[in-house]
Amino acid sequence: MSTDGIHSILEKHAGDRFALISILEDIQTKYSYLPAEALRTVADKTGKSLADVYSVATFYHAFSLKPRGKHVASVCLGTACHVRGARMVAAEVERRLGIRPGETSKDRQVTLETVNCLGACALGPVVVVDGHYYPKMDTQKVAKIVAKMQDDTASMSSEGPTIPLKVSCPRCNHSFMNHDHPLDGLPSIHVTVSFGEHHGWLRLSSLYGSFALEMEHPIPMDAVVQFFCPHCHGELVGANDCPECGAPMIAMIVRGGGVVQICGRRGCKSHMLDLDAANL
Amino acid sequence: MERLRTISDFWTLHNRLRADSDSQKPVVVIPAGTCGQASGAGELIRVAKREMIENELTDRMRLRITGCHGFCEMEPSVLVLPTRAYYPRVKPADMPRILYAAVLGEVVEELLFVDSVSGRRVEKQDDVPFFRKQRRTILERNEQVDPIRIGNFLEAGGYASFAKVLESGDRPNVIEEMKASGLRGRGGAGFPTGLKWEMLAKAKNGTGKYLVCNGDEGDPGAYMDRAVLEGNPHSILEGMLVGAFATGATHGVLYVRNEYPMAVKHLLIAVRQARELGLLGDGILGTSLSFDVRLVKGAGAFVCGEETALMRSVEGYVGEPRQRPPFPVERGIEGKPTIINNVETWANVPVILEQGGREYARIGTEKSRGTKIFSLVGKIKNTGLVEVPMGITIDEVVNGIGGGPLGKGRLKAVQTGGPSGGCIPARLFDLSIDYDGLVAAGSIMGSGGMIAMDERTCMVDLARYFMGFLKDESCGKCFTCRKGTQRMWELLDDITTGKATLAHIDLLEELALVVKDTTMCGLGQTAPNPVLSTLRYFRDEYVEHIVHKRCPAGVCKDLITYSINEKCTGCMLCGKACPALAITGDKKVRHAIDHTKCIKCDACRSVCKLDAVEVR
Repeated sequence: MSTDGIHSILEKHAGDRFALISILEDIQTKYSYLPAEALRTVADKTGKSLADVYSVATFYHAFSLKPRGKHVASVCLGTACHVRGARMVAAEVERRLGIRPGETSKDRQVTLETVNCLGACALGPVVVVDGHYYPKMDTQKVAKIVAKMQDDTASMSSEGPTIPLKVSCPRCNHSFMNHDHPLDGLPSIHVTVSFGEHHGWLRLSSLYGSFALEMEHPIPMDAVVQFFCPHCHGELVGANDCPECGAPMIAMIVRGGGVVQICGRRGCKSHMLDLDAANL
Repeated sequence: MERLRTISDFWTLHNRLRADSDSQKPVVVIPAGTCGQASGAGELIRVAKREMIENELTDRMRLRITGCHGFCEMEPSVLVLPTRAYYPRVKPADMPRILYAAVLGEVVEELLFVDSVSGRRVEKQDDVPFFRKQRRTILERNEQVDPIRIGNFLEAGGYASFAKVLESGDRPNVIEEMKASGLRGRGGAGFPTGLKWEMLAKAKNGTGKYLVCNGDEGDPGAYMDRAVLEGNPHSILEGMLVGAFATGATHGVLYVRNEYPMAVKHLLIAVRQARELGLLGDGILGTSLSFDVRLVKGAGAFVCGEETALMRSVEGYVGEPRQRPPFPVERGIEGKPTIINNVETWANVPVILEQGGREYARIGTEKSRGTKIFSLVGKIKNTGLVEVPMGITIDEVVNGIGGGPLGKGRLKAVQTGGPSGGCIPARLFDLSIDYDGLVAAGSIMGSGGMIAMDERTCMVDLARYFMGFLKDESCGKCFTCRKGTQRMWELLDDITTGKATLAHIDLLEELALVVKDTTMCGLGQTAPNPVLSTLRYFRDEYVEHIVHKRCPAGVCKDLITYSINEKCTGCMLCGKACPALAITGDKKVRHAIDHTKCIKCDACRSVCKLDAVEVR
C-alpha cells in the first residue's frame, strides 16, 4: 500500500492537534477502511502513540479495521424500525448473504452493517445500500436488494440523468450546442477551456446529471479550469463559488429559461440547474 | 455575492430580497430531505425542471427545493404557494398537471389529500388534520427556504434577528430576552438556556470561549434535529451568532453525527456561504464581533451526545465522559468556557428574538415554554415530525395528529426519551407533555422521540432491545454501567427466551437501582429507565413470559409458534413468501406450517390478507 494518500491527508490537517478523528475519517473515505499501516503512519506523524490512535479507531463505530466490500448494506435497528420488524429484516439479510453484521462476503461484494438509527424513522424498517435509502422493508424486498448487490452488472442507483439542456453564452447568447459530436446521443456542449499552460476545446454532455465529456488536452483531476465562449471569447463565470469545493462555478444560459452552473474543478460533481433568476 | 461590510449593507440586501419576493408568481415547493428523497422527490424535481424548460414556464412560476416539512408518511409531496394546495404521495407522471395548475392558480382536485375520517378532499395543507393541530414555528420555516441558498434564507427574513441585536449593541438585553422566554434545553435535560448563556457571558476564564451545537442526535427513533439541520442550516448559524454576540464566544463547533450525510453537506454549504457574505469571521458586518464555526463529524458513538464526552470527541479523543464539576462553562473545549446547546434550542433563538421573550413565553406551560418537535413514529398512522405547544396531551398528539394506530391493533403505549426514557401506557395518554410531567410518569422529554406501540409490541422485548443498545454504547468507563447493562440485558434475554424465574425480576430491579445510583454520566444513570418503566406499567407481561412461557404480543421467537387457521382459502401467497419453504398446501386448500422448518420470520403473516396466520 502506498502511503502517499495518507501523507496528503496528514498535510491537510497539519497544525490541528485535535484532528485525529477527522484524519481517520478522511483515510476511511479514501480506502474504505483503516489499514494497519495507515494507523502506524498517523501515529508516527502526529506524535501520538499507536495505542491512542488504535483506541480512537476502535471506539467509534464508523471506523472499520477490515477492508469492506464493493457494496455496504446498513440495516437500521432504531426503535421505530425495531417495532416495525427490523429484526426480521436484518435476520433475512444475514440469511441471504450468509454473513453476520460487521462481516464482508468472501467475494468482497457486500459488507453488512447494522446501525442504531439512520434518522429516517418514518420510513422504517430502512435499509441503506451505498447511500441509497430503501424504505418500508420487509423480508420479501430483501431478496431483491440482495440479488442486486450480488449482481456485478447492476447499478444500485435508480436515478439517472434525465433533463436534456440547450445552453448558450450569457454574454453573446450564441448557442454552445454541437450537433456534429454528440455525447449520450444528444448534441454536445462545445466550449473552450484553459488551465495551466493549456488552452483547447472541451465537449460536455448536454444531459443534465451526466458527466460524459471529451477534451483536447487531458485535464488532471482536481485542476480548476476556466471556461470561455468559443464565439465571443468571454469567460463563463457563475454568480458564486462551488458550494462543495469552493472553486468558481461556470454559468451557462438554458434555453427555456434559467441558468445551469457547474463546478470548474475536474472531478467535482457539483452542479445546479437554477430556473429562478432571483435565486442566489 | 458581494461581502457585506456594514450593518447597513446587510439591510440593503435584506430589503432588496424582501421586495423581490413580493412578486405574485406561484411557487411550487418540493420537500427533498432524506425522507423525501428516499420516497422519490428527486424524480419529481427532475420532471418539474424538464417541464419548466420545455414549456418555458420559468418566467411564470418558481420552483423551490426544501428540506423536510414533517409529514414523512405522505412523501413525496408538493406544496403550492400562495394557495397552499397540498398534494401527498405525488407520482412523477402527475407532476406536469400540478405545475400547469399552479401557473393558472388552480388546483388538481383528484390529487389532493383525502381526509380518512370525512372522506372529503382537503385543499390547503393547513386544513389537513396532521398539520391543523400543530403549532409549527420552527418547522414551517423549512417550507420557506432552499437550504443550500443563503439568498432564500435572507428573503424569508433570515439573519434579521441577528442584525437587529448587533445593531442595538445591547448584550445584556439578549440574555434578558432569552431568560424571559423561559426556553429550556431541547436536548433532553431541560436546563434554562438564558441562564446557561448568562453563565458563559460572566465566565472570566480568558478569551476564546466556545459555543457548541449538539447535533449528535443519537436517540434511536428521533430525527427532529436532522430535519432542522438539513432543511434550515442557516437558522442554526443565526442562533449561534446571536449567542456569540450575547456571551462573547469567538469559536463555534457544529457537532453532527456521521449518519446524517445530507445535514453535513448542507451545513458545510451554509457555513461557506455565511463566510463569503461576511456573516462569519472577523469583524462581522463592520463591528468588533468575531465568530467562526467549524464542523466536526461524530464517528458513531451514542455516548458523545453527553456534553463532556462530546467535548472529548471534538478534541479528537475517545469520547468518554468525565466527572462534573468542573462544568463545561468553567472548563470546556481546550479548557475554555464552553456551552453546548441542542440543534432545536439554537433554532428557537431567532424565533425568540423576533417575537420577544415575553411573547414567546405565552405558549406552553408555566415551567415548559414554547413549542417542541416530536418524531412521531412506530405503529402510528401519520408518521412524521410534529411540532406542538408544550402542555398538549399525549392523546392529542398520538390520536389527534397521529391519526391513531396503524392497522387494526390498539395502541398500548408510547415510548419517549429514547434509551434514557420510558414507556407511558395508553391509560395515561391524557398526561400533559412537559419536562416535569413526563419525569413524574417515569419517562423523560428527551430530545423528542415518540414511538407508538400497539398490542403487537412486546414490552419485555423492547426493554431487552434498549438494554442491548445501551450495553453496546456504554463507553466502559464506569464498571457498574459496563457490566450492569450487560447483566441486565442477559436477565432480559433469559426472560424473552423462556429461561427465567420470577427471581429474575427482583434481580433486575435491584440491579437497575444500583446502576442508576453508581454511574457517572447521564447514559448510565438513565440506562435502567426502560426496564423500570416497563416493569412499572407492564409487569404482567414479564410474569406471562416467565410463568406461562408465553409472549402475549407474539414477538419473542422462542416463545411463539405460527399456525394457519380456518380463514385460509389456499391462495398460496404465504407459501411463495416463505423463505424457509416451511408452508405446504395446494391451491384452494388450507395450508399448514411445518414447525421444524419455520424460522419465525413473519413473512407469511405480513403477506396474508385474510388474518389466517396466527401467532401464539
